[in-house]
Amino acid sequence: MKQIDKQIVLTLLDAVEQEDQGRVADLLDELTRIRETQIYQQLEALTKNLHETLDDLEVDAPILLHAKHDLPDIAERLQYVIHETQAASGKTLQAAENLSELLEELTLADDVSLEAAKQLKQQMNSELTNIMLAQSFQDLTGQVLNRVILIVTALEESLKNLIERSKHDFEKIPERRYSEEEQKAQESKGMGPNVTRDSKQGALDSQEDIDDLLSDLGI
Amino acid sequence: MQINRDINILVVDDFSTMRRIVKNLLKELGFSKFDEADDGATAWPMVKTGKYDFIVSDWNMPQMTGIDLLRHVRADEKLKDTPFLLITAEAKRSQILEAAQAGVDGYIVKPFTAATLNEKIQKIFERVAERQKAQS
Repeated sequence: MKQIDKQIVLTLLDAVEQEDQGRVADLLDELTRIRETQIYQQLEALTKNLHETLDDLEVDAPILLHAKHDLPDIAERLQYVIHETQAASGKTLQAAENLSELLEELTLADDVSLEAAKQLKQQMNSELTNIMLAQSFQDLTGQVLNRVILIVTALEESLKNLIERSKHDFEKIPERRYSEEEQKAQESKGMGPNVTRDSKQGALDSQEDIDDLLSDLGI
Repeated sequence: MQINRDINILVVDDFSTMRRIVKNLLKELGFSKFDEADDGATAWPMVKTGKYDFIVSDWNMPQMTGIDLLRHVRADEKLKDTPFLLITAEAKRSQILEAAQAGVDGYIVKPFTAATLNEKIQKIFERVAERQKAQS
């Protein structure tokens, strides 16, 4: 492969000094050509490496199986979790609202007969049972989420493996950095609850901490 | 201080569960007139009608965020004094400073309690009353 050497640079410098524009243009073209060839060759090597890595994989390699079977599953499983938690909070809220109405009934009635009180108690008990039963979602979604965690962890392992087989050093992949503006834009958009160790950085722990900060600002 | 409970409140959150919880809590505190919006973008045309005396909003919503809704309100000459409470999961120091700068009246971090909501509303309306007194 032709390299950019000292000679060609000196010739270019010489042409610039002699103000030989035609020659300068030719030499620059040549330099660009050499550079482009180098880039193409590097790209070719990379692609070849990737192909070889993929060819090396057996058809039943974990990463291929994950891609075909597990990944489409994950979205469906998570959708299920969203649906079930939403349904459960809907049921719980409905029961709590009904209970609140029943209590109101009791407060507004001047004189409640024993029979009516018994009936109210029965209705309230049934709402309380509804609240308890609605919590059974936790068992189901817990199982589904545990399965998702297993799949994601296995997938992470397979991907790491693939990266290393394609002769990249996983440990050397740089940290993800955001510029101050990018960070600010993300925060402005809202990032949801800070649940990971990373996202907890710079987050206040409690309502009291927030109140203190706001009170310092006169709010 | 006695708060006027006969006011129009707009509750903005993209999750219907959260809107329902906030509404129920506000009901418990004696308020009764609410409307709902599921995004800042749907809330803004409603707010512009001038109907609302108090806005309770989430931060993170798909189209228009709560902080943008707040900025819209503060930038509008007729609406700029509307009390605005953020109830959100966003809890970064920089975000709270951003909300303060945008002119928020109260900031509650999720999950929250009925007592916290009561306390913040009390405080917000005390300040509103003071402001009105100072202006008159």
